[in-house]
Amino acid sequence: MAGESWADPERLPRQRRGVTPQMVGRYPDFDVLDPSIAGSWDEATRRAVLARVTPSRELRFFSQEEVPTLRAFTDCLMAQHAEPRVPVMEMLDTKYADGKLEGYQYEDVPDDRELWHEVLRGLEFSAQSRYRRSFAELEREAQYALCRDLQRGVLQGGPWERFNVKRAFSVVMQAVVTEFYSHPWAWNEMGFGGPAYPRGFSRFGALDPVEAFEEHDRVGTDVQRELEEGERP
Amino acid sequence: MSGRFKLATVLKGAVRPPENDSAWLLDPGQRMMPQHATMRRYEDSEEVDLCIVGAGAGGSTLAQRLARRGWRVVVLEAGPFWDPDRDWVSDEAGSHGLYWTDKRITGGQDPVQLGKNNSGIGVGGSMIHFAGYMPRFHPSDFQTWTLDGVGQDWPISYRDLKPHFERCELEAPVAGQFWPWGDPHGYPHAPHPVSRQALAIWDGARRCGIEMRAGPVGIANGVFGNRPHCIYRGLCLQGCKVHAKASPYTTHLPDALAHGVEVRANSMASRVPLEGDRAQGVEYIDRTNGEHRFQRARAVAIAGYSVETPRLLLNSAQPGHPHGLGNNEDQVGRCVMVQGAPQVAARFPYEIRMYKAPPPEISSEQFYETDPSRGFARGFSLQTVGPLPIAWAEHVVAEGYWGQGLREYMRDYNHWAVLAVLCELLPLPENRVTLADERDQHGLPVAHFHYSQCENDQQNIAFARGLMTEIWKHADAQDILTIGRYAHLVGGCRMGTSPAYGVVNSDHQVWGVPNLFLADGSVFCTQGSANPALVIQALSSRLAERLASGRVSATGTPAGPDR
Repeated sequence: MAGESWADPERLPRQRRGVTPQMVGRYPDFDVLDPSIAGSWDEATRRAVLARVTPSRELRFFSQEEVPTLRAFTDCLMAQHAEPRVPVMEMLDTKYADGKLEGYQYEDVPDDRELWHEVLRGLEFSAQSRYRRSFAELEREAQYALCRDLQRGVLQGGPWERFNVKRAFSVVMQAVVTEFYSHPWAWNEMGFGGPAYPRGFSRFGALDPVEAFEEHDRVGTDVQRELEEGERP
Repeated sequence: MSGRFKLATVLKGAVRPPENDSAWLLDPGQRMMPQHATMRRYEDSEEVDLCIVGAGAGGSTLAQRLARRGWRVVVLEAGPFWDPDRDWVSDEAGSHGLYWTDKRITGGQDPVQLGKNNSGIGVGGSMIHFAGYMPRFHPSDFQTWTLDGVGQDWPISYRDLKPHFERCELEAPVAGQFWPWGDPHGYPHAPHPVSRQALAIWDGARRCGIEMRAGPVGIANGVFGNRPHCIYRGLCLQGCKVHAKASPYTTHLPDALAHGVEVRANSMASRVPLEGDRAQGVEYIDRTNGEHRFQRARAVAIAGYSVETPRLLLNSAQPGHPHGLGNNEDQVGRCVMVQGAPQVAARFPYEIRMYKAPPPEISSEQFYETDPSRGFARGFSLQTVGPLPIAWAEHVVAEGYWGQGLREYMRDYNHWAVLAVLCELLPLPENRVTLADERDQHGLPVAHFHYSQCENDQQNIAFARGLMTEIWKHADAQDILTIGRYAHLVGGCRMGTSPAYGVVNSDHQVWGVPNLFLADGSVFCTQGSANPALVIQALSSRLAERLASGRVSATGTPAGPDR
């Protein structure tokens, strides 16, 4: 698809230190998990962040039948088509198995947990009725097309008749980015300094020599133009 | 505000607030409130002078003030008594426990996200995760009907709250430049240094002829008692582990506990039973073991905020009050309000690194009041915010990006700055908290939050978005992203001059139940364009003064201790 050519990971710097999702990013020598940084975090914070790097692989919330669809779907939403991946699926599973909710449920969609099952059922339903194949077996282009239609709220029939489809996309999308961008590998990719307690960051005037340096601002100012053919609705 | 401070206190360092030693009672070596270990405990059967529901901005201030006057006070708090060293983390996702995440249903034409956006739980309430802005209301906020023909006039005026604004600003303490808007005033602490993000905004605003000033934020700028100086790490919304940012945990509860208040954590209020027209106390559920308990009290104050306060009144339906307490005129839950809070992000060729400073930096109230040339009533304030990665991802997703587009905007994070507004949306009776069919884990009906904007609201938000875009253009931004969102909850049990126009009178007494008070943001008649924390505290401070001096009595016998 058009949106992928410009964001070809080969055009971005390869990570030299630490890990980023798919080993690309803007700060190839920045690793927030380096002991010189993570070693200064307070104990409670360190425990919470490091737990994300080694999530449980055993699923408690999603069923085995749901796994292929869920993995393909979350890979599309975060464009994670190669290892190393932020384990979004496993993180979501832990969240819902532990009964963590956001504190509100829109009146036109079911409970978050039930909604996830419904969306996965819906994707299977649409993949079968449109392509006669399972969502996970589709070409990436067909998977993206279904995701776009989910975002636009135009998927119909089967499970999609039971709730507001557009809203469902926004709820699952928010859940996915919440997990992905809580992961320190994602912070490496974007140059986010991470937790800062009891030490603060370096001062916020001019950049400090101890700060991560950005390399090759290649996409830079043209993000919007380059994205015109991308996944924008 | 000069006369009340003696020169001697000034010479000792920071100006010390009167009759509140909270900052001096904390332990510089640990963040846990030391008074918790020696906290007084009351028996359920002991009739205390006041039982407060909710240990947030409203409840904590009320408790501290009355404890100083000898009242025996129990505060029931649904959430935990935090040990910040152990329970708070400097991390977005890890701060989930600070939010009210029990189920609520949200709907209407323009549904409001609850949870982390505006609802807290635990000792300290939502102020644990508030950004830190503590502006005052303008005098006009109390009479929008008279001045602008919208909303509802408050039964009290700016003058009634002014001394309490001053006192609560000292207690926070609030840092900022001299404030030229509304009722012009200064702040006890000097303005904080600002980040590159604020400088970029300041630059654009100046070129548009808009004045912005540093502050007003409830963050100590200098050592304040045993609270340290801010270390500018930008994690204000995740609970300030430094204790530099104000919250009841640092500003009111240490002094309250030192004067005999019990804060009973993990205690979810379920019902306020009456005998005749008097509240007998509060029924509650111990969240640690599910046990149902009942605290007797001579008077009750509910400070559960704009969703849980109306919910508790509605869940307290009983003979004589078949539709809930204070609801005989069908007013409970009505006119619940949120502020329109769109944010416009801008990209710069150089690095901004907006995560590195406290989100609240500079603000402007130049557009706060009604300007007939804009074509709508009331206005908005401009403020900085500094989204961390997850909040920034929500920004990008709101513009429709996912997949590679999302990843690329996220990689560009350090080049972006974000400007925000708080638009005053009008109180509308159809916007309402009611009970849903669903029940929570305790079997209590959950709240349903219905919200739709009116035309004036839409015009206000559209104008503010346009102005923010204009500022960024003048700052030479290269690219812009916009997100529509809401901030802050207030109203739902507003003050009124009669039961047909509100749930409480100007002394916070629920109509028809004279020893039941509401002491939180739910009593707001209008919301202004100000963040509500300081106003909530000032209202409680005023209520406490009236209760303590006997100017408010509950059914003939004054509330308060027998003496």
